[in-house]
Amino acid sequence: MRAALVVAGRNLRQRLRDRSAVVIAVIAPLVVSALMSLAFSGVESFHYTLGVVDADGGPVAAGLLQALRQPELAKVVTVRRLDSRAAAAQAVRDKRVAAALVLPAGFSASVTGPRPLPIATLTSVDDTVAGTVTSSIASTFVAQLNADRLSVATALAAGVPADQSARLAAAAARLQIPVQAVQRALGSRPLAAVSYYAPAMAIFFVLFTVSFTARSFVAEREQGTVERLRATPAGARQIVGGTVLSAFVFAALAMGTIAVVTSAVFGADWGDPLAATVVGLSMVLAVTALTALVMGLARTQRQAEGISSAVVFGLALLGGNFVFVSVAPDVMQRAALLTPNGWALRAYMDLATGGGGLGTVAVPVAAILGFAAVVGAAAVALAPRAVRV
Amino acid sequence: MGWMRRVTRAAAHRDESSARTHPAGADAAAAPGADAAAAPGAATPAAPTGTAVVVGGDALVGAPGPDGDRVPGDAGRPLLACTDLTKRYGDRVAVDGVSFSVGRGEVYGLLGPNGAGKTTTIKMVCGLLPPDAGTVSLDGREPARDAAARARVGYVPQDVALYPDLTAAENLAFLGRLYGLRGTTLRERVAEALALTDLQARGGDRVGTYSGGMRRRLNIAAGLLHRPALLVLDEPTVGVDPQSRHAILGRVRELGRNGMAVLYTTHYMEEAERVCDRVGIVDRGRIVAEGTRRELVSRLGEQDRIELTATGDLADLAEQCRALPGVERAAVTDRGVRLLTSDGRRVLPALLEAADRSGAAIDSVEVAEADLEAVFLHLTGTALRE
Repeated sequence: MRAALVVAGRNLRQRLRDRSAVVIAVIAPLVVSALMSLAFSGVESFHYTLGVVDADGGPVAAGLLQALRQPELAKVVTVRRLDSRAAAAQAVRDKRVAAALVLPAGFSASVTGPRPLPIATLTSVDDTVAGTVTSSIASTFVAQLNADRLSVATALAAGVPADQSARLAAAAARLQIPVQAVQRALGSRPLAAVSYYAPAMAIFFVLFTVSFTARSFVAEREQGTVERLRATPAGARQIVGGTVLSAFVFAALAMGTIAVVTSAVFGADWGDPLAATVVGLSMVLAVTALTALVMGLARTQRQAEGISSAVVFGLALLGGNFVFVSVAPDVMQRAALLTPNGWALRAYMDLATGGGGLGTVAVPVAAILGFAAVVGAAAVALAPRAVRV
Repeated sequence: MGWMRRVTRAAAHRDESSARTHPAGADAAAAPGADAAAAPGAATPAAPTGTAVVVGGDALVGAPGPDGDRVPGDAGRPLLACTDLTKRYGDRVAVDGVSFSVGRGEVYGLLGPNGAGKTTTIKMVCGLLPPDAGTVSLDGREPARDAAARARVGYVPQDVALYPDLTAAENLAFLGRLYGLRGTTLRERVAEALALTDLQARGGDRVGTYSGGMRRRLNIAAGLLHRPALLVLDEPTVGVDPQSRHAILGRVRELGRNGMAVLYTTHYMEEAERVCDRVGIVDRGRIVAEGTRRELVSRLGEQDRIELTATGDLADLAEQCRALPGVERAAVTDRGVRLLTSDGRRVLPALLEAADRSGAAIDSVEVAEADLEAVFLHLTGTALRE
């Protein structure tokens, strides 16, 4: 054990002197998680300003404005009245509004006639989401309007007196745009993008520990220093154990640093500190076991790089480190549960959205430790091969 | 070098005394500050096994060293005994039944061309490679299975095996800790090793900034740090400048004189002649002859070695030379042809005529008394490559 600590100490000293390792383990995940959080910060709470030009002033146009101000739709859209189509176009160009609807003069009157006037939608390529939502609102309104026109026409054809058509039209003017999408978080708190991407990127870059630890160990073997260590009283398992112990400490330090910085600077919610730490250490243990396994499998630096790249990117893709697992297909969501990082991310999401402590993460932690145990057992068996000269 | 003299004598003394005081099986590395040479494993006197040990034992008793010194060996008690070591890689036999022994205070050389099996042999000695057959015994213990036995061996690999991004002092301290050195003892040993290699002023510099010669010296210092009972050096002078080479050879010779057992591999005949008390000549995985320089050379009788430095069809020149009366052996070298003759001066005119016939251009001719080069040529029919 003492020899393993000596080897680990030497490895850590070298690792901390290696600026590229520090960049990969600490700085890169901080930068990437911040960028991804910014990129996806609008996804979980989309809202925009819609310009509306009411050149009609009639009851149908009033109905649309009233519908846009319903409480549920108001969470997504803020309506801003504009005077003219030209003013609306300029507002879109100036990004004062994300999109605009233009209700032409005579629109209400035309609705009951044979040729209803069209609603114009002004959108910008700079905000395609707002444009899509605005078009959807307009289409939904027009569809509802057409349904009402059809109802009125059907009623008249069925023998309703013509003088009732105005009452029917007024009823149509009171139409409601159905609310089609309502956000419902599973937990008691909504999940901010940074609370997902901070642990996702931390885990992704901690996975790189597999790559640079295994590669540098194989390089040492090729350079003959492992052979020299083997000639000392230290045994094969102590040499491998010391190397992976240093990887564990380094990865844990990196993960802890990222957690603290993303919490303090970016406002990421990692949940209960104790539970988050347990999840993090379990994940680091799994990464350490993977590192030892790759050290035993690879005979050359190229092999080490190839195997670890496949492991890192395979796990990251399957586990959901790049995209929200919840928006992935069902099969991918199940596949994520085959990976330790998938379980770790699930645990962090549960902690961030639902609160809770160790009980919340018990199952994910057990799954991660189970993975670490299986991989670690294989690595222990391969330890003598890892130091074979 | 004074400290080394004191150390090795003290270590030899501890070897003797610890035989009576230490229980077997304890690990030297576990004792803080303990000398590896004082490991309990050192205390167990081993009865030499195998025929090679007997051969080696004879040579140890009062055999003169290359400078005429008496070998301060411990007769009948070789520290290292290798018996019938065999290692195969697929169908290729890298080491084929090699047996030899090394006594305390003896410098034993394995001399042979590259690929002869020297490195494979010493890797088995150091416990780095498991032999397919045969045994390695260090005072009755097997380094491959016994950490205490490995603690008594100092291994200096052929390639510099140090961490370039650590300083020399950090490299030595790290290796020292693995041998169980701690605290003041460790600091003293690191300082001594740096002094030994004349690197005190650069001890705080990263090894990556060192010259090739400095790295070589540090590589050797790392093997001596824990004051081993057996020092194993694998071609330590390859790629070293003449000045460093001279210093290294001098230090190895001194270590042997001061009681350390040294196993030294080389393909340089002059190194073997200069530092080794006994030499095992290795060819194609086998030790084809063993003994002191005098014993080996005496096998040739009054033969001379002739070095022809030549250009042209050297294979044809060697063939022409072999046909001449009085030429026992002729082999192509890197620079010409090497011959073994019963009378060099008498053969010379015929040699020059043979060179004329083969069309080779002779640049120089050197006639020398028989040496280990001649022995190797005599035994194998080939030349040691330079």
